[in-house]
Amino acid sequence: MDLGKVLAITSKDMKEVFSSVSIYGPMIGVPSFFALILPILTYYVAIYAGPTLAEKLASIAVTSTSAVSMSGLLFINFFSVNVLGPIFMTMPILTASVIAADSFAGEKERKTSEALLATPVSSSELLLGKVLASFIPTTLLTVFVFAIYGTVINTIVYGTFQVYILPTLPWIMMLMASPFLAIATIGLVVLISAHVRGTKEAQQISTILVLPILIIPFISVLGIADLSVTFFTALIAVLFVIDLVIMYISAKTFRKEGIL
Amino acid sequence: MAIKSERAESIIRLTNLTKKFGRVTAINNVSLEFSKGLNIILGPNGAGKSTLLRCIDGLYKADNGRVSVLGEDPYLSNGLKTQMSLLSDNYALYDHLSVIGNLKFFGRLDGLKDAEIDESAKRFLKELDAMQYINSRVYQLSRGTKQKVAFCRSVLNDPRILLLDEPTAFLDASASEVVRNFMLNYEKEGRTVLFVTQKLDEVTRFNGRVVVIRRGSVVKDVTIEQLYGSMLRDIDVSIRLATPISLKLAKSIPGFQEANSAKPTMVKIRVRDYKSINKVLSYLIDNDAYIASVDYIEPVISGLSSGKVGD
Repeated sequence: MDLGKVLAITSKDMKEVFSSVSIYGPMIGVPSFFALILPILTYYVAIYAGPTLAEKLASIAVTSTSAVSMSGLLFINFFSVNVLGPIFMTMPILTASVIAADSFAGEKERKTSEALLATPVSSSELLLGKVLASFIPTTLLTVFVFAIYGTVINTIVYGTFQVYILPTLPWIMMLMASPFLAIATIGLVVLISAHVRGTKEAQQISTILVLPILIIPFISVLGIADLSVTFFTALIAVLFVIDLVIMYISAKTFRKEGIL
Repeated sequence: MAIKSERAESIIRLTNLTKKFGRVTAINNVSLEFSKGLNIILGPNGAGKSTLLRCIDGLYKADNGRVSVLGEDPYLSNGLKTQMSLLSDNYALYDHLSVIGNLKFFGRLDGLKDAEIDESAKRFLKELDAMQYINSRVYQLSRGTKQKVAFCRSVLNDPRILLLDEPTAFLDASASEVVRNFMLNYEKEGRTVLFVTQKLDEVTRFNGRVVVIRRGSVVKDVTIEQLYGSMLRDIDVSIRLATPISLKLAKSIPGFQEANSAKPTMVKIRVRDYKSINKVLSYLIDNDAYIASVDYIEPVISGLSSGKVGD
């Protein structure tokens, strides 16, 4: 395997993605916006709307200021990790599906693959180059968005309670699970790229992986599972096995002419 | 790369090649050999010309039969591609990269160093009068300039075998001439050039072997001279006149079909064979008409589509 060719493909694909504002704009802008706005909304609900809502719903007068503060802090802590965390865990899936679909199915759609496949590049070089082109920006963007969301949470919480609540170990493990989610998504795009006509189809099919992640906040709120270190260790282990299986099948079934 | 068994005369060999897409048979049991020099494949739209080139380049796997290039199967041999290059019918460049960005990318995959790519790219772009676009993004370029850049890409690796799909499509006259000269120089250097076209006008600019294909099958494998002799039969030719002639004179031309106005500058004539064209032209010249050109492309190509090809 010629690593120079692998890096040439990775670099070309990344340049393509980041030279078109229509691709990278929503990809960076939307999650960054949510990373800013969702923690602020969480804080607002916990401090101001929470007690009022509780009074309305349960007809209970919340009179103690310290009780309001403590329940607010607990609410922010729970919500920012158990609800917002899984929401931001969908980031690597959505980002990887956009980049990988553009990288694999996009070559087919734009009819650029013919010239690419006419060069002496092997299937493994092509596959690795394109997987890296999707994986690297996805991982960097996920870390960036987690950093924004963590910083915003800490800043607003510190302003009121003079404590930092992030990072917690489960929160860090959520971030650690993200690359595994990205790899599973990329693998799925590789698998389906030979069978779809364009990027939209590839993207839509791969975002199916978002659904199981969106169940996590509900199982946490309903008390079905505790989003503890053990939970995320098990999740990462399962994702690791899924990644191995998907990437193995992708590598085995990937044929260059699939993107022609 | 080790070349296993290269016969002196045969560089590319197709043996009973069949390629299907679903129920559509694009190439149907074609057996051909191409040697060093210029080889032309002529055929109408949908004849299977581009599919044939893609099979030779190893992009498609044959459903039946065999493709051999320099003694190797191009579908299985990656190393073969260092000696071969394909210019596809669409320009196949990355729109959001610059011209030099595209050329560097493909050059690197061909195993070239950046300095080599820079030097070759600038030389070819200058020759094609496209040097001023070297830093432009591809999406900013006209179709013709994209075609020039795509041609640069295809010759960047100095290929031993050059496969060209409509190389002069969208090019202006001057750039087309540069591309034709490239092909002729490659021929002189003993390389193999295989180009496909649907334009008889393009074919007749060369004096080489012509393979005519239609609906995925070889219809003819001839020289230019034989092509004229066999195909230019009972066809319509358009004669352009530098100065208008009278309608009466136009109607008196043997085989007259139609004129473009009451004072025609173009007349359509049906001729029996290419020898008849001389008689028609002599008749017009004897009647003080000035001939600008004789155009026979469209009738021949439509004849190929409908199977109206002489034996």
